[in-house]
Amino acid sequence: MGKGGKSHEEASIGEEENMAAWLVGLNTLKIQPFKLPPLGPRDVRVRMKAVGICGSDVHYLKTLRLADFVVKEPMVIGHECAGIIEEVGGEVKNLVPGDRVALEPGISCWRCDLCKEGRYNLCPEMKFFATPPVHGSLANQVVHPADLCFKLPDNVSLEEGAMCEPLSVGVHACRRANIGPGKNVLVMGAGPIGLVTMLAARAFGAPRIVVVDVDDNRLSVAKDLGADGVVKVSTNMQDVPEEVERICKVMGAGVDVSFDCAGFNKTMSTALSATRAGGKVCLVGMGHSEMTVPLTPAAARCVWHCALSPPKGDGFHKMQGG
Amino acid sequence: MGKGGKSHEEASIGEEENMAAWLVGLNTLKIQPFKLPPLGPRDVRVRMKAVGICGSDVHFLKTLRLADFVVKEPMVIGHECAGIIEEVGGEVKNLVPGDRVALEPGISCWRCDLCKEGRYNLCPEMKFFATPPVHGSLANQVVHPADLCFKLPDNVSLEEGAMCEPLSVGVHACRRANIGPGKNVLVMGAGPIGLVTMLAARAFGAPRIVVVDVDDNRLSVAKDLGADGVVKVSTNMQDVPEEVERICKVMGAGVDVSFDCAGFNKTMSTALSATRAGGKVCLVGMGHSEMTVPLTPAAAREVDIIGIFRYKNTWPLCLEFLRSGKIDVKPLITHRYGFSQKEVEEAFETSARGGNAIKVMFNL
Repeated sequence: MGKGGKSHEEASIGEEENMAAWLVGLNTLKIQPFKLPPLGPRDVRVRMKAVGICGSDVHYLKTLRLADFVVKEPMVIGHECAGIIEEVGGEVKNLVPGDRVALEPGISCWRCDLCKEGRYNLCPEMKFFATPPVHGSLANQVVHPADLCFKLPDNVSLEEGAMCEPLSVGVHACRRANIGPGKNVLVMGAGPIGLVTMLAARAFGAPRIVVVDVDDNRLSVAKDLGADGVVKVSTNMQDVPEEVERICKVMGAGVDVSFDCAGFNKTMSTALSATRAGGKVCLVGMGHSEMTVPLTPAAARCVWHCALSPPKGDGFHKMQGG
Repeated sequence: MGKGGKSHEEASIGEEENMAAWLVGLNTLKIQPFKLPPLGPRDVRVRMKAVGICGSDVHFLKTLRLADFVVKEPMVIGHECAGIIEEVGGEVKNLVPGDRVALEPGISCWRCDLCKEGRYNLCPEMKFFATPPVHGSLANQVVHPADLCFKLPDNVSLEEGAMCEPLSVGVHACRRANIGPGKNVLVMGAGPIGLVTMLAARAFGAPRIVVVDVDDNRLSVAKDLGADGVVKVSTNMQDVPEEVERICKVMGAGVDVSFDCAGFNKTMSTALSATRAGGKVCLVGMGHSEMTVPLTPAAAREVDIIGIFRYKNTWPLCLEFLRSGKIDVKPLITHRYGFSQKEVEEAFETSARGGNAIKVMFNL
């Protein structure tokens, strides 16, 4: 282990056994010991305090795979997390034991062209919590690079720290789509990702945000969280033209950017049709792999399909379900 | 008519009747009189000298429609054109009779938000030569706004001037895709649009350009025009993975930007798969309206799809490329016809047939 302090509780309790939630088989999670790697000079050891569940975690539990990633051996689950620094490596200057931090899950290589140009989320050597074969963070403790641990402001809770991960998807989408005060936003899907995207869009200054879903309850939540308008839609492709009309009426103005936070033929087709000429559609959600959409009419109106990577993964094959 | 000179030939011949090639019904073109509108103060009257045939012209001939545009009454065809100024309106300062000019076809409104932000190609009130109900320019003369007529450099011919229109599609695509010295380019489809896109990409500095097509002859033309590599592909969707592998091998590096200049499921799917993470795919070609493509894998690699519709602010750059020799469009003009009923019919047949015809050009 490198130099650095240990939290005083640990010193008095003695060496505890680190436990984690392991995905050991289809639909089977087991809390079992999780041996931590040695602490490198630029690493920190973090005691986990808050860990959220993501749809991808559930998908791995249910199917043992996601796109090209396959769970071939038991793997610790979870990646949306925050905790308290227990120990820091010898070269760590910006953090000390006791600091509350939120963790960015993915460790990039920092040698390839994509990393060097700043698009490190696309690094082919990405090592990401709970994307096999990399262990996740639903554990008592993890070891992680210090530069991927972000100190929480005093008034931000550990749970809010863990929420930074899903929120980051929304923030990244808003950046890629260049959301600002002049951009009216349409959000397809009011699940967790649709909601964080809506919150991020508002924070980026979007003046009007309309949220679309098939479910009344989700729409009600969206409204409570600040959507300017909500539109209930069906799962029937034939309803697209009528729904596009309703969406535009509720927006009361052109749709500048649409975020498809579901990722299905219908949501993508609706987004492409509803977005004004010269606008953008961000495909955020990972629904179906292959999609049938009216691409050419959208291209002829220069609707820029802005692709959005989840903070992991390098390619998807056919996905189950949806 | 506004103030301004008239060419001296016209004054001595007397008032000629302006004739044009009209689309009068399905598969039916007729050369008939075409009455010109009055010359406004900022207009010019142009004697047409070179007019190219576009796939859209052929499509209107064959089907009387294109997307949402329907030919409901007879319409003059043609929009890729260049000619000589005959008369200028009273407020026209930058052009005089005798000037050789290339014409940008589309008249935007210049009042809407899209126009004001410079994306005038998307103007909903666009009046575009040979997009119904607006008459085209395969005629002896047309009247057009002076600001859409661009003077040809001395060493650029009228035919090259007419080629500015299709070339503009390639130039606009390269701008939207941000082509430059670091961008390796893949072009799907070696038809006229694929070829002008390739030429434009080279002019923008693309170091490696690979062109893909189903046809050996077209690939051979692409190679002659400077493609670094060509790949022959099938129309079979199942061949995509193998073809992507071949493409990447021929490129010898990552594909930074792909231009789909055909616009079909297969070409788009191939482009999306072949383009590196963080790259771009430009959908230039208008093949099928609805497409089935592996969108999510592309999205998961942040391969962005960029739509292309016509062009904006491209004529000056096109003319500069032609003047400097950075782009040579002359090899694309494979067939030439005069302006007579028989030749108009033959010309369109030649263009529709495809084969070894790239650009069919009228000389008036």
